[in-house]
Amino acid sequence: MASTYEAAVADGPVIEAKGLGVKFAVNRRRKRSLREMFIHGNKRDPNAEGNDFWPLRDVSFEIAKGDCVGIVGKNGTGKSTLLKMIAGVLIPDEGKVSVHGKVAPLLELRAGFNDNLTGRENVYLVGSLHGMTEKQIDERFEEIVDFAEVKPKFIDTPVRHYSSGMKVRLGFALISQLEHPIMLVDEVLAVGDKAFKRKCYEAIDRMLANERTMVLVSHNEKDLRRFCNRGLYIRNGALALDTDIDSALAAYNEDTKVEIEERKKKDAAKKKRAEAAAKKVEAEAGPTETGATAVDEPKPEADKTDPGAGGDGKDGGRAA
Amino acid sequence: MASRTLAVWEHRKVVGLLVRRDLKVKYQQSVLGYAWTMLEPLALTLVYFFVFGLVLQAERGMPEDAPGGYILFLVAGILPWTTFGAILSEAPRAMITHSKLITTMKVPREIFPMATVGTKFVEYVLTWPVLLIFVFALGGRFTWEGMLFWLPLAIVLTFMFGLGVTLFLASVNVLLRDVERLTRILTRLLFYGSAILFPASMVLQADRVPGWAKTLYELNPLMGIFQMHRTVWFSGFEELTPSTLALTSAVVGSILMLIIGYWTFRRLEMSVLKEL
Repeated sequence: MASTYEAAVADGPVIEAKGLGVKFAVNRRRKRSLREMFIHGNKRDPNAEGNDFWPLRDVSFEIAKGDCVGIVGKNGTGKSTLLKMIAGVLIPDEGKVSVHGKVAPLLELRAGFNDNLTGRENVYLVGSLHGMTEKQIDERFEEIVDFAEVKPKFIDTPVRHYSSGMKVRLGFALISQLEHPIMLVDEVLAVGDKAFKRKCYEAIDRMLANERTMVLVSHNEKDLRRFCNRGLYIRNGALALDTDIDSALAAYNEDTKVEIEERKKKDAAKKKRAEAAAKKVEAEAGPTETGATAVDEPKPEADKTDPGAGGDGKDGGRAA
Repeated sequence: MASRTLAVWEHRKVVGLLVRRDLKVKYQQSVLGYAWTMLEPLALTLVYFFVFGLVLQAERGMPEDAPGGYILFLVAGILPWTTFGAILSEAPRAMITHSKLITTMKVPREIFPMATVGTKFVEYVLTWPVLLIFVFALGGRFTWEGMLFWLPLAIVLTFMFGLGVTLFLASVNVLLRDVERLTRILTRLLFYGSAILFPASMVLQADRVPGWAKTLYELNPLMGIFQMHRTVWFSGFEELTPSTLALTSAVVGSILMLIIGYWTFRRLEMSVLKEL
């Protein structure tokens, strides 16, 4: 898998990130930032030290054409922020990201749908916002509606009467018709029911087979293994690993395991203390507490391995 | 800057789409639809005519032989003001209402304030039939000077100022929501500060108004702009034509507002994107 990656880089990267960093002001300073920006400008901020939070800093990577890159990491480590910067909807405070080619952002499927307009009007509106021409939408309209499984009689009803599933399906159906060479996907694969999900996977497979580049943020290992041939592991706002998806996931799982161990130890210590305290005060509080924790424990092991999915993923990766 | 302008130009179709969507939604939800665009200023005109015209006799500031008289004066001022007031009231939310689109789609962010102003422009054009009815009914006068000089100037300046204000308020309001409340108060103030209900000359010639207040009054670019909207029908009457100072402050003020608005917008863009 590493060899395909290196070969692709020779063609020149499609997405190039250099020293990316983004900072957020922490609580109170938000308000002050307005004044500072007028007085000092947004590049240099004399008293910025200490109060800033950098969800992401010093991240550099290149993504070649045809790559499917999975981004893994804990919640709140800046995965979505990174995706937003690639999409160009967030401007980095440091560094630069250059993207060659049009981007189809699947960041939020319902975005842009206006509740008061009908499904048809919304498809035309959002399609055009994404850069489709009216003719293109005309040609694909049937297909979009068909894919979304929206019954023809509902397509001219205002979207506010749709179920949330219908909206999301219509959104996915529309965006999957975009021919942009780069796709950014943020946790949206978990759309709809089982049957629709399968259709989504097939649509994405089809798109990937077309030499398209995809960046995928997900917590679903099955999805990641299925589509991606490369993994970026983000830890504490920095790029910890840039390898194939299996190693990235392995590293992520390793870290998660360590963390769970630590938490267990902490919990155990806490419990011991609580028990000791409880024993001191009253003896009957103890047994109910231990009963509850026993149920929680086996959970982290359950989603760690899934042999069927792993095999699937490797095939999918090679095909792409 | 130049590339940015180009990017906005490339997305002009998107602006058109957003404008069309806003209008569609607006007129779809009400039974009377377009009629509201006319009814609201008409009702206002009626009230103001009664209170300011009949009771307070603001029409004494009007020249005797002005064609169309005080009522045309009122209508010609209130119609564009309704549009401008609507811009002011929607400006602070121009970015916030589109936060979903802004955070998921890569388009030059300027197009959202532009779409807001664009929608208002279309609505302004739609008020013209009402205005024309009044002009014909009251015997208003069409003049070359009014039609070819004052009208285009008034429209360009109104929407230039409007766009500047929208860019400014839309971005600042994302970071400081107080702006929305403040704008509501300011809109009221500006309404009286822009001499919509009475000829500006009444203020400028009043003995009881101190000199500095008169200068300040004339320096308000909106005063000059709305005077222009009426000079279209009353060209040649000196009391109703903007003074050189008012004219200058209207032109300079509008250009300045657009520059300040755009500068602020670009300056705050990064933080706005984070906050949305």
